[in-house]
Amino acid sequence: MSKQYLTVHTVDQAHPTEIFSLAPTPTSLFSASGSSSIRIHSTVEPTFPLQQELIGAHKLGCHHVTTARDGAGIVAASVGFSGEIKIWRRQGGNGAAWELWWEVAPTKTSGGDVWAVALSADENYLACTTSDGRIHVWDLNARERVQTYETGSSTGGGSFALSVDLSRDGKLTASGHESGAVYVFNNDAGRMAYSLSGLAKPVRAVAFSPGCKRLAAAGNAGVIAIYDMDHGEHVGNLTAPSSRPAWITSLDWNDTGEYLLSGSLDGKVKVWNVAQGVCVATHSETEDALWSVKWLPRSDRVLAPGMSKAEMFCAAGASRNLSFYREATGM
Amino acid sequence: MSPWLDVVLNDDLHLPVSRSIVTIPRFAPQETALEKIENLLEGIIDAISEGRELTIPFRTTRSPQAQQGDEPNCDLVRFPGRTIQEARRFEALFRIIELSHEALLSGNIITKRNIFYQNVDLFKSQGVVDDLVDNLAYTLGLGREDLNIVAAAKGLISGPVDLILRGGDVVHCNLPPGGILLPHIASVEKVDFHEAKWLLVVEKEATFKTLATSQYANNSFAGPGVIVTAKGFPDLATRRFLSVMHSARPHLRLYGLVDFDPHGIAIFRTYKSGSKRLAHEQDTTVPEMRWLGIRSSDVLSASRRDNLDISSGSDSQSSQDVSSQESVAYSHDGSQERHPSKRQKIRDSRDPVEFFLPLTDADRKKAVDLMNDIRSTDVVDGDNLEQLNELQRMLMLNVKAEIQAVDDFGNIASWLDERLCAL
Repeated sequence: MSKQYLTVHTVDQAHPTEIFSLAPTPTSLFSASGSSSIRIHSTVEPTFPLQQELIGAHKLGCHHVTTARDGAGIVAASVGFSGEIKIWRRQGGNGAAWELWWEVAPTKTSGGDVWAVALSADENYLACTTSDGRIHVWDLNARERVQTYETGSSTGGGSFALSVDLSRDGKLTASGHESGAVYVFNNDAGRMAYSLSGLAKPVRAVAFSPGCKRLAAAGNAGVIAIYDMDHGEHVGNLTAPSSRPAWITSLDWNDTGEYLLSGSLDGKVKVWNVAQGVCVATHSETEDALWSVKWLPRSDRVLAPGMSKAEMFCAAGASRNLSFYREATGM
Repeated sequence: MSPWLDVVLNDDLHLPVSRSIVTIPRFAPQETALEKIENLLEGIIDAISEGRELTIPFRTTRSPQAQQGDEPNCDLVRFPGRTIQEARRFEALFRIIELSHEALLSGNIITKRNIFYQNVDLFKSQGVVDDLVDNLAYTLGLGREDLNIVAAAKGLISGPVDLILRGGDVVHCNLPPGGILLPHIASVEKVDFHEAKWLLVVEKEATFKTLATSQYANNSFAGPGVIVTAKGFPDLATRRFLSVMHSARPHLRLYGLVDFDPHGIAIFRTYKSGSKRLAHEQDTTVPEMRWLGIRSSDVLSASRRDNLDISSGSDSQSSQDVSSQESVAYSHDGSQERHPSKRQKIRDSRDPVEFFLPLTDADRKKAVDLMNDIRSTDVVDGDNLEQLNELQRMLMLNVKAEIQAVDDFGNIASWLDERLCAL
């Protein structure tokens, strides 16, 4: 059964250059772009106004920004094109401004440039990947590296780790690689749990389901592979009927774990019903590449008179716009 | 801009024969060059007669090749010096000064390659000569050519234009199918541009050869033009040639076609705004050059094009009927004589992934260095922003692609037609 989504609002030209990454908190949305500032828009007001701008956050632009899914929404992390990681924090309630907490200089991450980042749900740990296939885990409060997962051979580095995710229960770390490999690590044991095959092409997005039972992975293959996390088995693929779909750049599960959102380089954002294995909605404003798609955490508040509490998502990319969608209900 | 530009235009207006011929003025002779070189030599002779240590002032440009710890801020080269290396360095530098002096007195031009091959034991490698010559020019506040020392020709040119040399010889750039070596611009007296409307600089010699062999400069849909390559990173001679061509013919549209990788963008930027190492050289940039490609969008659409072709044609198309796929590609408005009538329409059935290669660590570092360069320029204008954006996309996608990614089984002509006509 298909679902209907409507454009709620578009923040035109939210950044002066293309937007590479989005990260929601319960009340706001971080967006990072090729320009030096990170912007934070409110998601609890109908016009999604700009709430704060982290000016000059990353001189050469910022390719990844992340927040904790299901977290309190007081910590965020961003990575600049020069390889520096910045940890941002908000102290003192909802009205408080975000401030730089601390920073990891590129030199402190030895062995390859830092690429993707993910925050644990308790906002205490940060996982970051490197161009030589490592995954480092940092303890944010202690400001030290507590774990490094190696994916390479003993003789050299591994394949570029393009994507990373942490399960909400904190038990698992997943990474997606240039080689097409997907690895899952057991954080308690501190070692690899599963090496998952099936995509064979660069994996640009990995995402654990909210219940931590499933892992979704996608990239240049244009299909979304679903893996079971109890046994590390490939349990299915989500594919569009078209012969050779575009590269997928971004994946995100909704809060119930029923739906998966995907964004791709042909500008299409799709909503998938995971249980049925079908695409239930496709949207595209333009053919401009999408770099990031994210569900907004479900809010108990009604955004505006006449608007429901329906789930919303945001898509952004080369168009520089932030496009907000919500499910059409009562139709 | 160039002080002699007005004169050229005047010449152009009053030429009775053909307005397509433009006179290239002689480079203003640097009278000070001989003087400066002679001052250096006198200083050395004085030192000998007074029994002092011999010294040559010598500053180094910001050279990426400069070895670390190798006298980084050397202001003087001494003889006999403290080490054997320094004595050797003095000898090498002195030899170059001597050769430059001879060349300046006689009015001859010598190449860096000749300097090296006449003194192989002394210089050990061509790179040593290159560095010494550039740094000597830099120290004296001159251009390399002011010393009457030039690099051997590296660039190639092809297209319906004629170069009239100072000796009276005419070089028809149209004739040899593989293009011809660029003559040194100082030896060119006039250029007959005929109908040329554009000048395309391509990074790769292979692309150049393909285009030259197919006479693309004659039968482009965008009208006749000129194609030049410096076979990779541009040398000073090619850059100066382009600068002079542009000054002589300001309305000649200039384009650059480079690979979609950090190196390609660095090459384009060098044509456009020069290199750091040779920033002291004058008239060697063409800021007007436009970036024809290839960009991330070309690469991604090439992959889509291929996707379509594969899905629609792979079932029916086998290798046996390749010849039947050849067809008359351009037959409208009866222009078959001028345009190649047959362009193979075989679609490439390579997997699009083959067009891309993942970036290496060195590529990624180079991309970040370039981005830093762009960010630190005074004016981050539209061109710079576009380069910045393309470098970021390269890093995001973690791919690079060669010019061949947009061609059609080795034939880049239709892609070029489209681009040159659109601009």
